[in-house]
Amino acid sequence: MPIRRYLRKAYTSFGTHIYDIPPRMFAFLSLILFSLLPLFNLPTTMLQPLISLNFITVLAVSWDFLVRSGQASLGHAIFFGIGAYGTALIFKYLGWQPLISIPLGVLSGVGIAFLIGFPCLRVKGPYFAIVTFAFPVVMTGIVKYFPELGKDAGIKNLPRIFPTLTYTQRWLAEYYLSFALMVLSAVIIYKIAYSKTGITFVSILDDDLAAKACGINVSKYRIMAFVISGLFASLAGGIAAHSDLFQRRASPTFLSSTYSFVPIIVSVLGGMGTIYGPLVGAYIYTFLDSFILKSIFKIDDFTRTLIFTVIVVILLLKWPRGIGRTIVEKLEDLEKPREIEEIEKEKR
Amino acid sequence: MRLLEVEKLTKRFGGLVAVNDVSFQVEEGEMVGIIGPNGAGKTTLFNLITGYLKPDSGKVLLRGEDITGLPPYKIANKGLVRTFQIVRPFRRLPTIANVLVALQSYRGRRRIEWIKTPERKAMEMLEDVGLSDMALEPAENLSHGDLKRLEIARAMALEPEIILLDEPFGGLNPVETEYMVKSLQRMHLDGHTIVIVEHKLHALMKLVKRVLVMHNGELIAEGTPEEIAKNKKVIEIYLGKAI
Repeated sequence: MPIRRYLRKAYTSFGTHIYDIPPRMFAFLSLILFSLLPLFNLPTTMLQPLISLNFITVLAVSWDFLVRSGQASLGHAIFFGIGAYGTALIFKYLGWQPLISIPLGVLSGVGIAFLIGFPCLRVKGPYFAIVTFAFPVVMTGIVKYFPELGKDAGIKNLPRIFPTLTYTQRWLAEYYLSFALMVLSAVIIYKIAYSKTGITFVSILDDDLAAKACGINVSKYRIMAFVISGLFASLAGGIAAHSDLFQRRASPTFLSSTYSFVPIIVSVLGGMGTIYGPLVGAYIYTFLDSFILKSIFKIDDFTRTLIFTVIVVILLLKWPRGIGRTIVEKLEDLEKPREIEEIEKEKR
Repeated sequence: MRLLEVEKLTKRFGGLVAVNDVSFQVEEGEMVGIIGPNGAGKTTLFNLITGYLKPDSGKVLLRGEDITGLPPYKIANKGLVRTFQIVRPFRRLPTIANVLVALQSYRGRRRIEWIKTPERKAMEMLEDVGLSDMALEPAENLSHGDLKRLEIARAMALEPEIILLDEPFGGLNPVETEYMVKSLQRMHLDGHTIVIVEHKLHALMKLVKRVLVMHNGELIAEGTPEEIAKNKKVIEIYLGKAI
């Protein structure tokens, strides 16, 4: 039996509609795999990159959502940083616990998204990229100037979200928390992006003048994209600030260019503008970066960044559709023959 | 009833007066043509009426309501809808989604039965212009003629009170032009108010009952197609002065 037909049979044997579609099946299996993965007694050194992967995925997916509305930002780290500093400041001055301070931090992230969204309405394309590039840089300057914000060291000793657990349990808990955050953000953003409203964002990306002629309030939708994107990125920042992976502090690291550019790298790897692309890209990136280049080949940070920059440039030139998108389209092709069979059946 | 009134509209670009003191009215259910050589200011006039440019002076009234200087999306939601001279489809979206975007606007969403099944409404719009076979095809795969028709389907999805078409026959071959003429005639018979800016005089003259002629930013003549065809001034600006 040819592999294709065998695979097709495997999908149909589930019987329900959701699993009929190969890409969803693929996503579902990965979900199970990665939720069971830490239970194989992984060492902490292997769990850490996986936790970091989850945060990067949230950033990448929310960045990709912004791209779908025609706003390719170069300063996505601003939201990650605002989320972290927002929640940290609330803890420092009001003493409120993470369960309250994180949502409030997210609120401040949304507020900032709203505020910086307005001046950004006036600029498009490359000019937009330059303006957004400045935001985390300015923010880093502010953070390093005021002693209340902890200068270079940041705001230290934030409480853990799960205070009572042992060392190994803590890392497991952090993994599951970040994993839940990642799945939740990805699903919600995907649902918004592929909803009826979602096509409006793409129409703005394609041609904002024509969207205006269709009666679409382009400014409103652009701000909306900013706010949705900022919400998830600052939520990731707030949770990350309380995690042991980031030494439980809100530091200028959150605003560093790493968190602006890694989401872009993984989006290009996976396929920009598709939401699932960055997700696939983030996994490919982490496995290449942390598990192969770092652990096996022992390449230092600087060289690894260089390698990925070169990969991104080559991908943009030779394969702009991205890896994730190509995989999903191949999987969708598997589905097509069956659709045709069904249509023929109906005709009979 | 007067649907659209344009009063003494003027727009300058630096020293150049692109539109100079233009006034005209459009009655409900009327089909009006605006002709003129290149650079006469026809497209600028459209941009002024639909809010893409702000006039230096003058007024635009829709059903007696002043809409001068409103942002384009608000004007579209009030029912004054335009198409573009150069086609502007949403290339990444399937053809049907191009129409669905218009149904996502304030004006598009106000009909409750459309909210439930906007896809059906969008499909109807595509059938009207004969594009229903291409519904799921990405718009970037459509031919120029199809895109011109898609522009009209997208504009009609807003159920406009008045529709402004910027060169609907531009770049079409004779067969496609004939099809477009028939679509527009059908729209006119359905009671839609249409203003057409056009270069192809032959196709336009068959369609409309009233023609306005623009030259160097000014309205120089107005009348039935027959009158315009005989007008000396018009012949002069199109063919040059007799020596």
